Amino acid sequence: MADSLLAFFTLMDNQDGTIVREPPNFDLDLYIQSYRGRARFDRLFLIGRSSVPLCVDALKLAIAEAKRGKDTHRYREAVECLRVAAPSEPEAVFDQKWLEAQDAENKTETNRLLKELKGYKNNLIKESIRMGNEDLAKHLESIGDLNAASETYSKMRPDVSTAKQLLDVGKHLVRVSIQRREWDMVSAHLSKMGGAQSAEDEKAVQPYLKIAHGIAFLGREKFKDAALSFLSADSNIPSSTYGELASQSDVAIYGGLLALASMDRNELQTNVLDNAQFRTFLEQAPHIRRAVAQFVSGRYSACIAILESYRPDYLLDIYLQKHIAAIYSQIRSKCIIQYLTPFSCVSLDTMNKAFGGPDQVIEDELANMIQSGALQARINTIDKLVTTKAANPRAQMQDSALRMAENYEKQGLDRLRRMGLAAADLELKSVKKSNPFGSQSDLMLEETLG
Amino acid sequence: MDQIASVLLNFPPAGGIADDDLYNSAAKSHSQSVDKLAVTPNFKDTAAQLLDHVDPAINSISHLSLLIAARAADSLPQPELLAKISIFLVSFDARQIRYAGKAFASVLDWVTSGNLFPASVAVDLVTAALLRIDPTGSVLTTHHVALAKLAYTTDNVGPALPLLEKNIVFYPGVKGLQEPRPLGSPDLPPASYVTVESGLTKQLSSSDVLQYDLFRGLCFIQRRSWSQALDALERVITYPARDTHSCSKIMVEAHNKWVLIGLLLNGKAPTLPTITAPGAQKAFSALGKPYQSIGNAFGESTGRLLKTEYEGLGPQFFSEENNLSLVRLVIQHYQRWQILKLRQVYTKISLEKIRTRTQSAETGAPLATEAEVAQLIQEMIDEGMLSGVIERPADGPAYLSFHVPDEVLSEAEFGQRMLQTAQRLKELEPIVKATNERLGTHRDYVRFLSGQQKKDKDWQRDYGVGFMNQVEDEDLMTDAVAGF
Repeated sequence: MADSLLAFFTLMDNQDGTIVREPPNFDLDLYIQSYRGRARFDRLFLIGRSSVPLCVDALKLAIAEAKRGKDTHRYREAVECLRVAAPSEPEAVFDQKWLEAQDAENKTETNRLLKELKGYKNNLIKESIRMGNEDLAKHLESIGDLNAASETYSKMRPDVSTAKQLLDVGKHLVRVSIQRREWDMVSAHLSKMGGAQSAEDEKAVQPYLKIAHGIAFLGREKFKDAALSFLSADSNIPSSTYGELASQSDVAIYGGLLALASMDRNELQTNVLDNAQFRTFLEQAPHIRRAVAQFVSGRYSACIAILESYRPDYLLDIYLQKHIAAIYSQIRSKCIIQYLTPFSCVSLDTMNKAFGGPDQVIEDELANMIQSGALQARINTIDKLVTTKAANPRAQMQDSALRMAENYEKQGLDRLRRMGLAAADLELKSVKKSNPFGSQSDLMLEETLG
Repeated sequence: MDQIASVLLNFPPAGGIADDDLYNSAAKSHSQSVDKLAVTPNFKDTAAQLLDHVDPAINSISHLSLLIAARAADSLPQPELLAKISIFLVSFDARQIRYAGKAFASVLDWVTSGNLFPASVAVDLVTAALLRIDPTGSVLTTHHVALAKLAYTTDNVGPALPLLEKNIVFYPGVKGLQEPRPLGSPDLPPASYVTVESGLTKQLSSSDVLQYDLFRGLCFIQRRSWSQALDALERVITYPARDTHSCSKIMVEAHNKWVLIGLLLNGKAPTLPTITAPGAQKAFSALGKPYQSIGNAFGESTGRLLKTEYEGLGPQFFSEENNLSLVRLVIQHYQRWQILKLRQVYTKISLEKIRTRTQSAETGAPLATEAEVAQLIQEMIDEGMLSGVIERPADGPAYLSFHVPDEVLSEAEFGQRMLQTAQRLKELEPIVKATNERLGTHRDYVRFLSGQQKKDKDWQRDYGVGFMNQVEDEDLMTDAVAGF
């Protein structure tokens, strides 16, 4: 690794960034082709900051992307990074002339649009005001002022006159909220979009709504809800309607991974593999389909191996990056639980062969899982065995019956006592308002312990 | 003197009185005539002589008045007086004494004051006497409070346990009660005769009630019976309050101890019962903070946090709060609970692994040698805290093997335990009945009931309106009204 790259990633590491050393399985140019709009820069920039092998290429592409747009702040950020990572590249020098020109142009454009909007407002024509707001917000979004953009987009709402326009407002707001990583706002905006259209329109936006919902749930770590959302997206609608959110293969990956993390084998079979709607998506990501199929047929180590080989790819995804560790560990512990289900006793050696790695000791992992209550089993470290504990409904019933009876007795006595206290007018009441302790003398007792 | 003796021996008559009402009036008049007699100057002088002739078990009221007179006149040598008092307290007729509550209370006061008898004897006597009056032990009296205080402060908890273990359900001082049965009636529930009016107790305040339960808790702590202590303290902290802001200092003190006891008993901090008064909840969370953080630290997997929590405040702080020994005990028990929790994960585990996995909160580090671990575990096994055994195979490291409890009870065993609980519930029946009777005859309830009946009557009277209300507007056009 070059010194400058090393310095760059030490810096990223200090900022708690994720660093991916392994090369991903995709080709950067092909990968970025499936995205449009501002998401392109976001994805490129993320890869540039995270992936060691792709760092310079991605940053260079990001700079080019930024220069095509109007957002000078992004350009500065990207060049700043490249200057640390690869100072010798020609792109690592600020294009001062472009920057100044663009800044000035942005300013005049903002002023022009503001002035226009003012004019529309004076004329009191609803449609013009709406369009004026939309133009201004679009401009603000493109120069990177997301806060003002979302404010201006929401100003469009009072002047909306058709269902289509309402939908557009919603889409704008969802897009900006996703860029700002405000997942609760995404859900809020989405809920305002549903139900206002005719059945046909509804169908056309269905995948958009479902995918956006899924992304919002993913952002809030509600994996199961997110999975169900992605899995119900309609694949017959052209991907252009939701292209600004995610590509088809992204939908397949998000849906498949989250389903693996949150569903059991039967659910996976019916919701993922037998789901005709989702099959089209899965065709774009055959490895996810394979992983799910392996899991369902009980070959857990194969499933984990597939997922591990794609870990770098997912770590470079803008929405998945933060959650990949949690998702993988959930899948892993599910695999272990499923693996143990048919047995009453398994030797630690076989477990190690199936799940352990050179740097992973299965015993500690099992201990943690048992402690957290995820797994009902006991470890015998002397004979190297794991014995699973079958749930014993009879013992549970007896236990809960006895406990209930005892509780009933205790509660009954307590109620009688409290009635007695109330009847004798002995409840606590403060004498003076200012003194919450009433007028009791200090009672401090010497302690003795036999 | 003979005249006095004849009055004293007048009640009860040789054959006893079968009828409750007759007994009641006879006992009342006897009690009054003894009271009259007691103020005559002659009585004092002869009291000491007469004591031998009046049987405490039969003529209890008379014997009681003689005791009081003898003590006032100081006419008996101290050892003899003490012997007489002791005999009286363990043999008196509980039914008769209901008519001389005030005098009886004063004798109990002598004993609980602690300067007449040695404390151990005093505790024993008062316990026996109180249980004779109220065998169910369900009514709290001022003597209970004094006894608990005496037992705890003089370190004589043992003899008082039969009384302390009873469940208090009734409290004297209920106003507006009507008891139709006579005072001497044998089926009268204790709550109806252990009253302020009968003199067997004085009026209690809420702080007396709180103190009693706190002392009970402390007594149980002293005996190291943690679960009873936890129950007693829980009664203090869930004490009902009439408003949303009041809380007693006693409750806060009990709460702090309660948290520590919970750690010792269950290995985790207890959760506050939902019925805790809101004012108390606020006070606990503000004033009990050090204890809550000890509770949280106890749940950590390393002992360092517990050690720092303790040392941050220092022994001085806990000693001022009178909780130092308890806190020390909690810290000692930390590692034991760590080992106990391993039971949920392992069936067999080597001692070396236990050593590295658990820490002592006293040092904040694992124990130094395997032998120390073995010793600790052996202690736990001996005390019955842990069920397991240390195995030392010839060809490998020593390990601890946990006994897996036999989870399923046999049908007979299960039935047995359910039956026991049912039995205990059945034993509550007289208490429930008494409560029902007491509250059913309470002035406020009667007033409420008569109000309710009046309302019912009013409602019946305006049947026309009632009917019209049931018929909706649209129905007016149909046959529903046509027949009316």
